[in-house]
Amino acid sequence: MSDNLENKNPQQEGSPLLSLEHINKFYQQGELQVEALTNVNLTVQKGEFAALVGPSGSGKTTLLNIIGGLDRPSEGSVNLNGIDMTQLSESDLSNFRLYQLGFIFQAYNLVPVLNALENVELVMVLQGVDEKERRTRAEHYLGLVGLQDVMHRRPAALSGGQQQRVAVARALAANPMLVLADEPTANLDSENAFALLDIMHKLSHEEQTTFLFSTHDPRVMERAERIIRLRDGKIEHDGKG
Amino acid sequence: MKTPSPEFQPTHANHGSGFFRMLLFISWRNIWRNPIRSLLTVSALSGSLVMLILYSALLEGMSDQMVSYATDISTGKLQIHRKAYLDDQDLYATLSWQTLNQLEKQNPELKFAPRLYAAGLASSKQNSTGVLIEAVDPKQENQVTHLLEHLRNGKTDLSMAPIKNDTQDEINPEGYGVLVGTQLAKNLQLTLGSELILMTQAADGSIGNALYRVTGILSPFDPNFDRMGVLMSVPAYQDLMAMQNGMHEVAIKTPEDADLTKIQQHLLQQLAQISTQQLKSGDTLKNLGGKFVVETWKQLNPSVASMLSLSRSMLLIIGVIVVSLAALGMINTLMMAIHERTHEFGILLSIGLKRWAILVMILLESLYLAVLSAIIGAVVGGGIALRFEHHGIDFSSQLPDGYDWAGVVFEPIMKGSISMDQIWQAVILMLVLTVIASLIPALRTLKLNTAEAIR
Repeated sequence: MSDNLENKNPQQEGSPLLSLEHINKFYQQGELQVEALTNVNLTVQKGEFAALVGPSGSGKTTLLNIIGGLDRPSEGSVNLNGIDMTQLSESDLSNFRLYQLGFIFQAYNLVPVLNALENVELVMVLQGVDEKERRTRAEHYLGLVGLQDVMHRRPAALSGGQQQRVAVARALAANPMLVLADEPTANLDSENAFALLDIMHKLSHEEQTTFLFSTHDPRVMERAERIIRLRDGKIEHDGKG
Repeated sequence: MKTPSPEFQPTHANHGSGFFRMLLFISWRNIWRNPIRSLLTVSALSGSLVMLILYSALLEGMSDQMVSYATDISTGKLQIHRKAYLDDQDLYATLSWQTLNQLEKQNPELKFAPRLYAAGLASSKQNSTGVLIEAVDPKQENQVTHLLEHLRNGKTDLSMAPIKNDTQDEINPEGYGVLVGTQLAKNLQLTLGSELILMTQAADGSIGNALYRVTGILSPFDPNFDRMGVLMSVPAYQDLMAMQNGMHEVAIKTPEDADLTKIQQHLLQQLAQISTQQLKSGDTLKNLGGKFVVETWKQLNPSVASMLSLSRSMLLIIGVIVVSLAALGMINTLMMAIHERTHEFGILLSIGLKRWAILVMILLESLYLAVLSAIIGAVVGGGIALRFEHHGIDFSSQLPDGYDWAGVVFEPIMKGSISMDQIWQAVILMLVLTVIASLIPALRTLKLNTAEAIR
């Protein structure tokens, strides 16, 4: 299974990169069953720059977690790059995330005891990439996000915006099929938020990487090419941004 | 840059030297995230190791002293008696001088020291008390034990010489020199040069009595001898007891690391042959005082032998308790660290780090703390223990006569004994216990829910 998980190109011509079918997610809270996602169907094509939007509690993070293999749906299937993630074991899912997905979280994305360069290299170390190659790639992506001058600083010595840009570099350096970002700009001021989105957008095109990010900030939504609006666990709207 | 060249395509995840180097590297940096907390943990662990090493040195010192007192000072490695002497302290149950000569000839690698015993009444100018009289051949005794060197005051002079006469009488009597126990000297108010009168029933049934001069006071080594012992030469004993032939006890010294059980069996065979010859000459076994009995020092001093094995068990038990208490500090440190870093672990899991790798990372952190503690504890503990070994702790102001433990009287200066083996054992015990203790919090990381952790 592991060899397939590393394979970057099993996707058939014309078929979507990501396909979600009839996704339901229930949580048990005492005797009460809470429905977090209801019959979510979604496809994302390669190279898309899409935003999951909706108010707090609408199910954005739950959906991203399911797409990222961090959580499993109660019902339905998640097919990414030709592989049904719901059928993978815990260990295979971990390998799948390592080779196929990049993650950017709201904040505290980085390992505090590693500097920016080491943080970017970390995923490649896990992938078993050669030391020289991973150094070259880490420096390249840190350069792309404009952090070539601070790559030896630890996260505590970087601003919030810089930390998020390191997270973008880390996600891209791993060469994933899909980058998932859960409210990446939530802790940033407007200037830094736009700058980060611009970088993500630019790299999405330059690197042909698919981005799916969640937000509830209207100014951020404006930058998205596609908006998927969630409300009460259901897709309310799916269209151009 | 998008597509790595084929040779850089990932081939394996979460293993390889680079991966383990990274785990070692991250773990090392992690322990310095909260240096005060780490240093406190290291202090507690190294402190426990210092205590353990010192306790080990103390026990080993006492054990060495017990073995030394049990063998080198008085008992020897083996002893031979007649059975009747062992059972009833039968004065006539002796080994002949001829038997001793035969044994010496047959066993040139062994050293033999004859001893004779009797009970009597001792009187000084101030007081009188019952005493245990022991006679030795100084030359042979010195080859087997350090008994005659174990002096607190005076010198080993057991010869016949004039007794100092304080009253300036015309009569200037002569007397054999004797050594007495510390407590006996105190009870009879004896000092060096004091006169001592001994009275006993001699072997021929007559009353034996004589005047002796105190030439030395022996340091404590046996509570009975310390309280009641008078040591004299064999000729002095023979004069007092009118008993020329035979001895009650033969103490034996063997080469270092000799197999005592083997020698014991060998001596028993030789003595059986001697006994057969004696019986052929018309003596009965009963008249001779029963069969020969050869015993090792452990059989002669079972309490000391038990204490020695007990002290090893005690060391292990105390060691486990002391280190476990300190390891609680380690558990606390790791619990806090894991709690604080839950989000970070979630991030690491989401980017593809395996759960076992996080477990290994936590264990490495505890191992680093334990190794640091081991180095500090071993150096400090070893240093103090070495000083303890060379200088000891002087309790002579509180315990001038030493102290009695497990039937052995110890000098008031308590000395330790330390070796690299003891330090290694303490270090290994600490490392093993600490890593086991750290498993308790570390195993919690295996149950982390990634989605909840990154929230």
